[in-house]
Amino acid sequence: MIARRIWRWLLAILVAGWLPVILITWWWKSSATSDNPFFPPLELIWEQFKLNWVFTNVSIHLVPSLENLFTGFAIAVVVGIGLGALIGTSAEAARYVEPIVDFFRSIPPVALVPVFILLLGLDSGMRIASISFAAAFPILISTIEGVRQTNAVLLDTAKVFRFSPARLLWQVRLPNAMPVVFGGLQVGLQIAFIVTVASEYLGSGFGLGAFTLTATDTFNILDAWTGVVLLGLLGYALSLVFDLVERISLGWYYGQKKLA
Amino acid sequence: MTTPAISIRDVRMDYPSPEGVKHVLDGISYDVTDGHFVSIVGPSGVGKTTLLRLLTGLAQPTGGSIEVRGEKLSGSPKGLAVVLQDYTRSLMPWLTVEKNIALPLRSEKLSRAERRDRIESSLAEVGLEGNQKSYPWQLSGGMQQRVSIARALAVRPSILVMDEPFASVDAQTRFDLEDLVLKVRDDFHITTIMVTHDIDEAVYLSDEVVVLYGKPAKVSEVVSIDLPFPRSQVATRNDHRFAALRTRIYEKVRGLEAPTQP
Repeated sequence: MIARRIWRWLLAILVAGWLPVILITWWWKSSATSDNPFFPPLELIWEQFKLNWVFTNVSIHLVPSLENLFTGFAIAVVVGIGLGALIGTSAEAARYVEPIVDFFRSIPPVALVPVFILLLGLDSGMRIASISFAAAFPILISTIEGVRQTNAVLLDTAKVFRFSPARLLWQVRLPNAMPVVFGGLQVGLQIAFIVTVASEYLGSGFGLGAFTLTATDTFNILDAWTGVVLLGLLGYALSLVFDLVERISLGWYYGQKKLA
Repeated sequence: MTTPAISIRDVRMDYPSPEGVKHVLDGISYDVTDGHFVSIVGPSGVGKTTLLRLLTGLAQPTGGSIEVRGEKLSGSPKGLAVVLQDYTRSLMPWLTVEKNIALPLRSEKLSRAERRDRIESSLAEVGLEGNQKSYPWQLSGGMQQRVSIARALAVRPSILVMDEPFASVDAQTRFDLEDLVLKVRDDFHITTIMVTHDIDEAVYLSDEVVVLYGKPAKVSEVVSIDLPFPRSQVATRNDHRFAALRTRIYEKVRGLEAPTQP
C-alpha cells in the first residue's frame, strides 16, 4: 500500500519533471561557452545565485517583498470575501456597487501604482495598498458570483432551520461558494505577486523588484538573472502552496467531483 | 375533539405571471389530525408543492390562514422538520453526515452530550450507525435520503413534512424507506404530511389521502384509508381494499367520475 503510494509519487514527479530537466540541461550546456554579456553561462548565474541568496540578501530583499505580498494579499482576501459576500447576498447592494466594481477592475493593476505613490508616498504602506487593491478584485468578483449561486433547495433548507441571515451566510452561502472563491483567490495571488514586484520598481531600495531593476540599470547582468530566477522559483512555490491549501480546504469538492 | 396538528383554512395562493395573475390554490381547507399520516396527491402541476411550501412557512398564502397547533403560521415553526425530494442538494456536501445532522441543532440549547446523543439516536433510527464521518456524496441515494430523514428527526419534530421524498430512489430502496417512515411515525408519534405523485405509496402509508384537483386547485376528495396497521408491503398491498382505494383515488386524480352503481 505505502510502496504503491511512493511509486505513484515517483511516477508523478517523473512525468512532471522530465521537460524542466531537459530544458535546464539544454540551457546549461548551450550557454556554457557563451560570451554574450546579456546571456551569461547558467553555471555563473548559479554561482552568483548562491552568493546572493544563500542567504546574504534574503533579509534585505526577499523578506520585505514577501511581507508586502502576504500582508497585501491577506487584506485583499478579507476585503474581497467580505464585500463579495455582502454584494452577492443583496441584489440591492449589487445594483449600486457593481458598476463601480466593473470600472475599477478594468484598470490594469500595475497602472495604479503611480497613483498610489501620489496618494500614499513611497513607503511600504503604498506597496501594500497597491497589492491589496489590485488583488481584491478577482476575489471580490468570484465571491459575488459564488455566493449568488447558492441553490434554492439549500436556501429552503436553511429557512426551515430558521437560520439567521448571518448564519445563512456563514454556514451555507460562503462554504457553498468556496470552490468558486478559490478560483478568484488564485488569480488574486498571481496579481498580488505581479504588483509586489512592480511596486518595488519605483522609489525603493529594497525588495526583489528593486534588486532586479537596479542590477539591470547598472549592467549587473548576473545579479539581474539571479533575481529573475528567484522570482520564478518563488512564483512557482507560491502556486504549489496555494494548490495544496486548496486541495485540503476543498477536499469535499474534489472528492465529490471524482465520484461524479 | 382535540386541536388538529395543522389547520388549513380557506387558503388561496396566487402568483403574478406574464399572462396576469395565476391562481394556483383556491380555498383549500383541511385539518390534519394529530399523529396522522396524511398524503397529498393530485395531477402534475396542480399545486401540491405550493401547498407544502405554505405548510412549512417557506411561502405565505395570498389568502386564508394556516394554524399549527392553534397558532397562526408565520415563517417556519419550531418543531417542524422537512425532507425534500432533492437530497443531493438539501444536504451540505462540505459537511460530514454527523455535522449535517447537527446543523439544525445549533439553534437549540443543547449540551455537548445531548447533541451527541441526538445525532447517534437519529442515525440509529434510520439504520445508519457508523456512517457519522462519511460525506453525503459518498453514500448511495437511499442512504442520503436516510441522512436527511435523520437530520429531520434530530430536532425531535412533532410535525414532519416530506416533498416526494422517495421519488429519486430505486424501487427496492423505496419500499425500505416507506417502512422506515412508518416506523419513525410510530416511534415518535410524529404527525406526517407527504406530497407524492405515487398513489400506491399514498395509500400504503397514510391514514388519510387528500386529493387536489382543478385549476385553481381545490380539495376534491379526502379519502380515509381504513387499512389496518402495522402495514406490510406484501399483505397490505394484496388487500382487496387496497385496490379499491387506489382505484378511487386514481379516478379522482385523473378527474374521472366514479362509475355509477348499477
